[in-house]
Order: sequence, then structure tokens, then C-alpha cells
Amino acid sequence: MTTGELDSQLELLQGTLDLLILQTLAFGPAHGHAIARIIQQRSDEVLQVGHGSLYPALQRLLKQKLIAAEDGLSENNRKARFYRLTAKGRKKLSAETSKWQRFSSAIARLLAPLPDQNS
Amino acid sequence: MNQWETRRKRLEDEMQEHIDLETKENIEAGMSPVEARQAAIRKFGNMASAADQSRETWGGLSLERLWQDVRFALRSFRKNPGFTVVALLSLMLGIGASIALFSVVYGVLIAPYPYARPNQIWAPAVLGPHDAVHGWHWYSQREMQEILKLPAFSDVMATSVKSVLLTGGVNPENFYGVFLTGGSFNFLEVKPLLGRTIQPFDIGPGGEPAPVVVLSYGFWQRFFSGDPHAIGRTITLDDVPRTIVGVMPPRFGWWTNEAFWLPLRTDLKDNSGIAIIMRLAPGVTQHAAEQQLNQLNIRLAAERPDDYPNGQLRTVLLNYMNITTASGAMADSLHLLFAAVGLLLLIACVNVANLQLARTTGRAREIAMRLAIGAGRGRLVRQLLTESVLLSVAGGILGVLLAVGATRLIVVLIPPDYVPNEARITINGWVLLFSLGVSMLTGILFGLAPALRSSRPDLVGTLKDGGGGATGSMRGRAMRGWLVVAEISLSVVLLAGASLAVRGFVQVLRTDPGFQPEKVMRIDVTLAPKSYPTWQQRNLLDRNLLESIINLPGVQAASLGNAGLPWSGWRSSFSIEGQPPTEGRKVALALISARYPQTLGIPLKRGREFTEAEIDSGTRLALVNETAARLWPAGQDPVGRSMQIDDLGLPMTNPQVLSAPGIAAGVTVVGVIGDTKNDGLSEAPAPAVFLPYTLFAPPERQLAVRTTGDPLAIVNAVRLKARALDKDLAVGKPNTLDEVIGEQTQQPRFNMALFSSFAALGLALAAIGIYSVISYNVTQRVQEIGVRMALGAKRRDILKLILLTVARLAALGLAIGLLGCFLIERLVRFQMFMKTSFGLVPLAAIVLVLAAVSLLAAWLPAARAGNLDPVTALRHEL
Repeated sequence: MTTGELDSQLELLQGTLDLLILQTLAFGPAHGHAIARIIQQRSDEVLQVGHGSLYPALQRLLKQKLIAAEDGLSENNRKARFYRLTAKGRKKLSAETSKWQRFSSAIARLLAPLPDQNS
Repeated sequence: MNQWETRRKRLEDEMQEHIDLETKENIEAGMSPVEARQAAIRKFGNMASAADQSRETWGGLSLERLWQDVRFALRSFRKNPGFTVVALLSLMLGIGASIALFSVVYGVLIAPYPYARPNQIWAPAVLGPHDAVHGWHWYSQREMQEILKLPAFSDVMATSVKSVLLTGGVNPENFYGVFLTGGSFNFLEVKPLLGRTIQPFDIGPGGEPAPVVVLSYGFWQRFFSGDPHAIGRTITLDDVPRTIVGVMPPRFGWWTNEAFWLPLRTDLKDNSGIAIIMRLAPGVTQHAAEQQLNQLNIRLAAERPDDYPNGQLRTVLLNYMNITTASGAMADSLHLLFAAVGLLLLIACVNVANLQLARTTGRAREIAMRLAIGAGRGRLVRQLLTESVLLSVAGGILGVLLAVGATRLIVVLIPPDYVPNEARITINGWVLLFSLGVSMLTGILFGLAPALRSSRPDLVGTLKDGGGGATGSMRGRAMRGWLVVAEISLSVVLLAGASLAVRGFVQVLRTDPGFQPEKVMRIDVTLAPKSYPTWQQRNLLDRNLLESIINLPGVQAASLGNAGLPWSGWRSSFSIEGQPPTEGRKVALALISARYPQTLGIPLKRGREFTEAEIDSGTRLALVNETAARLWPAGQDPVGRSMQIDDLGLPMTNPQVLSAPGIAAGVTVVGVIGDTKNDGLSEAPAPAVFLPYTLFAPPERQLAVRTTGDPLAIVNAVRLKARALDKDLAVGKPNTLDEVIGEQTQQPRFNMALFSSFAALGLALAAIGIYSVISYNVTQRVQEIGVRMALGAKRRDILKLILLTVARLAALGLAIGLLGCFLIERLVRFQMFMKTSFGLVPLAAIVLVLAAVSLLAAWLPAARAGNLDPVTALRHEL
């Protein structure tokens, strides 16, 4: 789904995209293109969202009632779909965030530089 | 669907908007508009796939995909009308034939009866230690009372048939009335069309039956024209007026479908046999019931040893479904025909698989392209399978239409005596369900192999080489070759089966019955028993009748005897003086008048016939047929010798039949007549003894009249003569002996007609298959042919090249088919249509026919290849 043009860009782990979308929407409603841009910019261009994979994820979240969609106007002044967080989505976001932080700190501890075996 | 479309459109718009925004940003970043758009699209990735995945979360996508696939398939069928027509035709024939035959199997073997739970009805057979099952046991009424006491059975009913004379305001007519115990209709659980059925209260406390009658649908239509007010009216049967209490529906024919049902008198002293059937009590196994009944039978046999086999008794309960349908000649031929139609369906499948394979190979480039742009293999296989199933379901629908017509034709062909009279052969819900199943299965069967194969092509090679390349289609060609081989070998087996059916039919047709059936009319005559209470009175009437008929103009000869001509019915044990006792062997007995041999056209071989005086006086003389004459040791002429016919010495159990005064078992043989096929055209003649008809005087007689002109023209004159003697004399339905013998050819004709049409269809399908494969092969090899021609190959060489390919496939197919026949012959050890071997000549003929058909089917495309212009051929690119 992601096209790694640069080595420094990372493919998103399965399921993390959902979390990132929820986090992005925590600051206020946004349309699809804006969500993609925000994720990219806020990760200092490290995380590359294959824009195509965004839409299946949005549909998935809609179905789970974690986000809601409404029609609005884009900066192009054209009709666009704006997504916002629902109450359920907000709850899910905080739960997932703390889970993710515990997970990532655990991984970080495990991956801390090892003493050189051969020395 | 509308909401679906809106949602879909909105998603598309949203993605489009995304790309527009990205493009705008790219332009702002300094790209040229075209570059900017391309970059945006590249970044977005596969839009169609993203849309697909998004929609997947909505659910119901598989339905949408199915719809897509169906539309795509329909489009590609329209683009390929030749393929579509040939494939549909193959499927229609294959599936149609299976449906038609299944409707017969369903109607005759699976659900032939309207009775409740017919597979839980059992009939008893009582056997000696070495007997094979040969029908069910007839009990007496007193014995039935004992059976009723057995705990193994929850319900028991009995049936008995007697001839009953209908009089009173109508032309007197003899019917076989069916007498039933009071609970019988409740046992069978069939509701009447009108009124009520016979109930237990119709038999009084003293066993006397109420004067009521339940009519069959046929009788009601014939005598009351379907008038619902027939209920409550009376008909006179055997001089007793009986009230009509009910009419049964057309699909009810317990032992008759043209007469009526009457309550059976309960008479414990009556020893005439009644047919008993039973249902098992809940929880009782067949084995346990057999044990209980056997204990009873052993006790009963001790009381009436004459009516039971000798030695240790065995009792077997026969399931009603087996005795009446599954064991008959019809069941055997239906099983064989079902196998045949299975082969036909396989040929059709192979045919369509072949076409499909050729087409998908032709579509290799399209498929490679679709794989390259990201179609999953599973998705592609599903799409190709959708095409196949769609095709087969369409073929199935056409097949149902074909089957509706074919079933009507089969119903006409079907021999009425070989199927239960309640069987209904129709395209019903079950048959349609079967059709759907067969169609789907067929689609998967012929679609799976090509789909799997073609979805795994060498992508790069196929795309590079422009479709019809040699590398990609090598395997396809080999597979198509094998399919042709399969078709030919299946056809060999099918044709071999058909050849047996044809030979069986021809054999029956060619059988010499031993008499001359042409221009002989057979007419039943029944007198009212109460008007002729003595033996003398009855025989006098019979003699007067016979005399008046012999003197009719147009009558060459006439004779009188018992019913059943030209077949033998009545059998008796016998003994011959100076011979060891003939354990278990019986002779067929026939009652005849003078001139019986002339009337039927049977030659007198030795001795003499009866004289009129001997007949009139009821002298105990006999004629024997040649088979019976061989009962005496070789060299001993039976003429002038005597034999004991046991039945003549026994007291008559049927009170309606009066015996000659002083009748005894000993008879003297006065002559020997030629053998006739008295046991059926396909059986060996049974030993037969002919006696003067006056020895017994039953109410029914049968006249045989040989005419000089049209036998049908004599019927009315016979009727008038009978009426002149006694207006209550019933003249029954006349038949010509040709008609009677014709019934014997019905089953072989049915087998032949169905088997040969299946084989012909199979052959046609195989020819179509060979044609399409070779013609495709030629198209694929155009370039190769061009090169060969450019290098100096002549038209003849090209023809040879193509035909040799076919010849090789055909030879292989024929060899496998013959091997199959050989294996069937060796392993199954079959007896089909009276033949035990396929025979060399028919097999050789089949090989020739198939070889010729294969070469002929290949000739057209081969000729086309031979006529190719080498220059065009070389330039040819697919």
C-alpha cells in the first residue's frame, strides 16, 4: 500500500493507520486529503501514507462508528467529505494511545543497544 | 441498488477530489500541470483497488462482484456467439437428457406411489431352505388373525381380487373387483376425491360386508362422466346393488385403476389366499419382525403343510418399494439408462471444457493483462467460474425446456405394464432441484480445469508474444488433446451400450412365438354365475356360443378356453408313471376346445386332437407341447400314456368354478403340439398340458377367433351373438394377439429408443468437440503451416499433418474406450438386454463409425489449413 520512495520513509504497521487517523481528527474535523497531509507533516515526512489506503481505513472507522462523516466545502471551494471524531472514537483513541505507548516503550526497552557479544 | 450507487459515486468523487487537491499542491510546489497530476495519481496508488477495498467494508461486495462478473460474462458471450451457441447446445442436450431421465427415475423408482410412507410397507415371503424369493406369500383369513396378534406389526391389511360382474341397466361387463379389509384405506392413507373410503365399520360384527363400493377415478369417469352426484347412487355387482360411498383420485390404483374397491367378507373358514401387507410397530427391526413371523409360519405350516414349502422355513419381509418397482425389468433398464445419460452429460462437459479452454487460451493476453494490473488469481478463477456456471445454468434452463418435450415423448414410449399405474412422470419441484444441481455441478466440472490452468500463465511470455504463442499453449494443446481422447472413449462405451439395446430389441422382434398371431382376436366372455348354477348349464352355453361364432362369416377358426392367451398362467405339480417324483417342477395348464391348434396356428406334431364328443363329455384327455413331451424319457412317445395332474385331484377352493363330475388327477395324452413362447418372448417355452375346457366351468372364458379379414371387424358380430344367447353375458375388451405380443416388445423398444438417442447425442457432441478442437488447433498453427508451406509442403502434406493429429487422438480414444468395454464385460459380468457380451462385430462397427466421424469432423478445418495462402499465413498474427 505504501510506496517507499526513500529509505527513511517507513511503512505503516497494520492497524496503526487507524490510530493515526483518530489522533489527527482529535484536533478537529478534516477531509481525506488533509488527513493524509497532516499525518505526513506531523511525522516529519517519515510516515508515508499511501493515499489510496486511507479510504478503506476511513470506511472501516465509519462502519465501527468511531468517526462520522458530513459534507462540507474544501479549500478548493468544492464539495468535500469532512470526518470528525465521535464520542466512541474519542474513548477508543485514549485507550489505544495508552496501549500503544506501553507497547512502544516495551519494544524500545527490548531493542536498546546490546553489549557487543564478541568483545 | 440506488442507495448503493449513490454511496459508490460519493466515494469516487471523494478520491477524485483528493487527487485534485494533491495536484494543486504539486503545481504550487512548482511542477508542470501534467507532471503534477501524474505525481498525484502515482502517490495515491491504485484507485480502483482502493475503491474496491473501501467498499469491501460495507459488506455485500461479493454480491456486487458477482453481478460484475455476470455482466462481464454476458458481454463476452455476446462477443463470441459461435462459442456461446455451441456450448449452450452441448449443455442443453446433455443436461436436458439427464433431466428427462431423472424425471422418469423419480416418477418410477423414487416416488411411484401416493401411499403414506411406502418404504415402510412390508410384504411377507415364505421360503423353503433353497428357495429364492419369488413373490409374496398368500395367507388365509384365519392366519391373518394370528398375524394381527404379533406385537411386531402396528398395522396389517389384506387384499383379494375376484372377478365381479357389473349388470343392471348397462352392458354387462366383467371387472376385477378389489376386496379390502376394513382398515385398508387408513393403512394406505390416501384421501378420497369424493365421499369417503371403506372403513372398519363397513364390515359387520358377523364379518358380513356392507353393500358399499368405492369407485376408481377411471370407473367414475367412464360410467358417471365425473358426476359428483354419483355418491349415494347404486351399481349392481354380482346381482347385489351396492351404494357408491366414495370416489378415489386419479392417482390411486391399489390393484386396479379401472374398477372399484369393496369391503372383504371376514370368513375364517375361507381358505382362498389373501395378500397381506404390514407396517412394523415403532422400534421393531425388520429382522425381529421376520423372526416373529417365522415362528408363526412354522406353526401354521404344521396345520396346512400343502400351502407352505417343505423343509426348514425362512421368512423374509420384502419392502414394498423393492417388490414392485426396484426389482423389475424397468428398474434394471432405468439404472442402465441413468448410467448412459451420465456418460452423455460427461461428454457434454468435456465438450464445453474444451471450448472454454480454447477460448481462455485465446484470451491468454487479456487474462495476463488483468493479472498484471493486480487482479488476484482467486478473483480471476472466480470470474472464469462465474462464466462457466452462468453458461451451464443457461444450458440447464434450455435443458429443462428440452426435457419437458422429451419427457412427454418418453411417457408415450414407456411400457405401461412395467411401471406402477400410479407413477407420474412430470417435471416437478424435485426434478427442477436436480436440474439446478446438475447445472451448477456441470458448470464447475467443465469450468474448473480451464479456469485454474489459464489463470496461471507465463505472464511475461504471453504479453510479449502477443497471445497465440507456442510456449503458452503447449500445455493447453495437450490438455485439449486429452479431452478429445476422453470424448471418444466415452462415446465408445455409450455406443456399445446402445448396440446391446438394439440387439436385444431385434432379438425380441425376431423371436418366433411358435404360433401365428396375425388376424387372431381374443375376447373375454363372462356369464352371471347365479343364472348358471350347474356345470352342465355353463358348458352348454359355452358350446352354443362357440358354435354360433364358428359359423359367422369371416371366421376361419375359433376356440374357447381360459384367460391369458397366449401366455400360460395356471401351474400344477404333476407326476408321470414310472418316473421319479418331480420335486418342485410344474407344468402349465391350459383349457382349450377343439381346433385350438388351428385357431392359433400351432402345428400338431404327433397323435391327434380332441374330438367334439370328448370335449362335450369332459373326458380326461390331454395334449402336451414338445417341451412337456420331453418329460418322458427319450424314445418314449407320450401319446397314449397317462400322467397325474395334481390340481385336477384337489378340491376346488374357488366356489365360483365348477368342476366336471368325477374329475381326478389322471389324464391320458392323445397328442403332441408344437412349442410356443408361452412364458414370454424372451423366455424358454414352459412345459404345457392342454385339457378339454369342459373339465372346469368358471364364469369367465376367453374366445380366440381367427378371421379371414380384419379381426376388428368381427367384434361386433361376436357381441351380437353373445347377446342373442343371453343379454347378461358380458363381452370384455377385445385384443388382437399382435397387440398382446406387442406388449412384450415395449420394454426392449423403450431401452432401444432411449439408449440409441443418448448414444446419437453423445456421438454428435463428440463430433462437435473434435471439430472445434481441430479447427482451433489449425487457427493456432497458421504460422507454422505457413512456414511449412514456404519450405515446400504441399496441400496434401498439410492435410496429412492435421488429419494425423486427429487420427492419433482418435486411435487413443478408441483404444481406451474398447479397454473400458472389455473391463465392463469382465468385471461387471453383466446381463444387459439378454446379452452377455458386446460382441466383436458391433464393437468393430462402432470403431469404424467413430473413426469416420472423427476424421470427418477434422476434415473441414484440415481442408481450410490446406488451402491457406502461405504468404498470408506467414504474416498472420493473432
